[in-house]
Amino acid sequence: MIEVKELTKKYGDRIAVDNISFSVKRGEILGFLGQNGAGKTTTMKMLTCFMPATIGTASIAGFDVFENSYEVKKRIGYLPETPPLYPELLVSEYLNFVADLRAIPRREKKKRMDIVLDRCQLGDVKNRLIGNLSKGYRQRVGLAQALIHDPEVLILDEPTVGLDPKQQSEARSLIRSLRSERTVIYSTHILSEVAATCDRIIIIDRGKIVAQEAINSLGATGTMTKTEVIVQRSSENVAQCLRSISGVKNVQCLSNGKERIIVESEAQEDIMAEIAKVVVNNNAGLIRMAPVQLALEDYYLDLIGGKRGVVI
Amino acid sequence: MRGAIAIVKREIRSYFCSPIAYVVLGVFLFVMGVIFAKFVDLYQRFNSAQQFGQAQGITIDKVATYLYQNMAFILCFVTPFLTMRLFSEEKRQHTLELLFTAPVRELEIVMGKFLSAYFLMLLMLALSAIYVFFMVLWGNPELKIIGATYLGLALALACYVSLGGLISAMTSSQAIAAVWTFIALLFLWLLQSLGQGITAAWGPIQWGPTLVYISPLGHFNSFSEGLIHVKDVVYFLSFTIFCLFLTHRVVESNRWR
Repeated sequence: MIEVKELTKKYGDRIAVDNISFSVKRGEILGFLGQNGAGKTTTMKMLTCFMPATIGTASIAGFDVFENSYEVKKRIGYLPETPPLYPELLVSEYLNFVADLRAIPRREKKKRMDIVLDRCQLGDVKNRLIGNLSKGYRQRVGLAQALIHDPEVLILDEPTVGLDPKQQSEARSLIRSLRSERTVIYSTHILSEVAATCDRIIIIDRGKIVAQEAINSLGATGTMTKTEVIVQRSSENVAQCLRSISGVKNVQCLSNGKERIIVESEAQEDIMAEIAKVVVNNNAGLIRMAPVQLALEDYYLDLIGGKRGVVI
Repeated sequence: MRGAIAIVKREIRSYFCSPIAYVVLGVFLFVMGVIFAKFVDLYQRFNSAQQFGQAQGITIDKVATYLYQNMAFILCFVTPFLTMRLFSEEKRQHTLELLFTAPVRELEIVMGKFLSAYFLMLLMLALSAIYVFFMVLWGNPELKIIGATYLGLALALACYVSLGGLISAMTSSQAIAAVWTFIALLFLWLLQSLGQGITAAWGPIQWGPTLVYISPLGHFNSFSEGLIHVKDVVYFLSFTIFCLFLTHRVVESNRWR
């Protein structure tokens, strides 16, 4: 549905987006993750034909965003970082204006407006001035604007910013409910949101894609796994014995209050049993042992070269 | 044209949802009313003086001519207030992204903006027809001259509005747009006097008459005297189309710059 090939955007000398390529299949929800200023918004602006790429091409539903922007614009719904709202209009007037811009036929206009008002829970405020609405409502009006013409592709730039936790979860379930009908690209810097909503994530850092993964394959990085062992008495002897187990690559002893040993090994089913046997045989006083789930946050921080959080 | 119509409807609604349209219309009509009253007063005094054989009388047609020449100048002050927000406000509110990512051509955006501000200016002209009503009631003005004057005003306003729109497209600050529009219009207006002062010719070009020709003042004055010259109509139309063309280029440049 969306094909991006070697897209680059330069602002003067500064490279905002550096040679990125990805594709999104129909019906997929893609999370676009990155720090502020990583190039998420710039990429989205290029995809929505708002801004041209310096190098490279992108196409949506088979139409090039530069050559055939008119066709692309018909097929996308876009919620920019700041919702594009006219504070002096009523919510219903505003949606009516967007429907006219989007060339929705007069017959369907009423129906489409009712659908988006209902979906974005705006029924109560439809006769209020946009300028008087709270930030959460404005964000939802922005979302309604992006949905009014029932687009095939939705591009949402940080749709949950400024919403309270309840509204955030409502917005997420709204986005999830769009799955299968539409292709959604959706940027955020809230990690838990991506895990809860998206099928796949792209992590972008300083203009480059540093990872593209399906959300359920996160955590198990390749064939390596980690096991955390908490014992009463740790000693160099235990560590030595653990290192001698075949398949174990690295053993780290940490002690902050309790004795913790992190065993990095190949992902094999029987390795946990081996570790347990060694610890018990050394009379170290086994309290607990569990595989370490590599959390999205660790994965993310690892990739963008930030300081990694304490393991578990 | 569908997009342009949607934009015109939205713009006019915005003008009348905020105080700006009412304030500008009100102030304009008040100022023009004061000027009209002054000319009518002069007219009366001269005419009564004439009865005693002391002075040359002025005709009601002269009152109309002076009134509308003043109006054309005062509209230079009024235009910036209506055109300043056309593009600047959209940039500031980030609503330009909505227009640029909707299936609407740049030309439709430019025309929609131009037509909405122009509509408001024409509304203002229509309201000023109240003076014609009074003149007809108590005098006997030549209505054909007034008709030609209104045609001239409508044409002059088209070029004021297109120039204001162009300047608004180049900045995201309404205040800057207003100030520059005002300076540009005033400068164009003053070119007349400037050009008249230059008699020498440098090189092959007669600079004096050229500057006078560039100024809208002389072109408008022939309308206000009841003369509809093709060259004046062509001047106003080409000025407007040129500004709209430049606005289109400025707006379009957002797509590749």
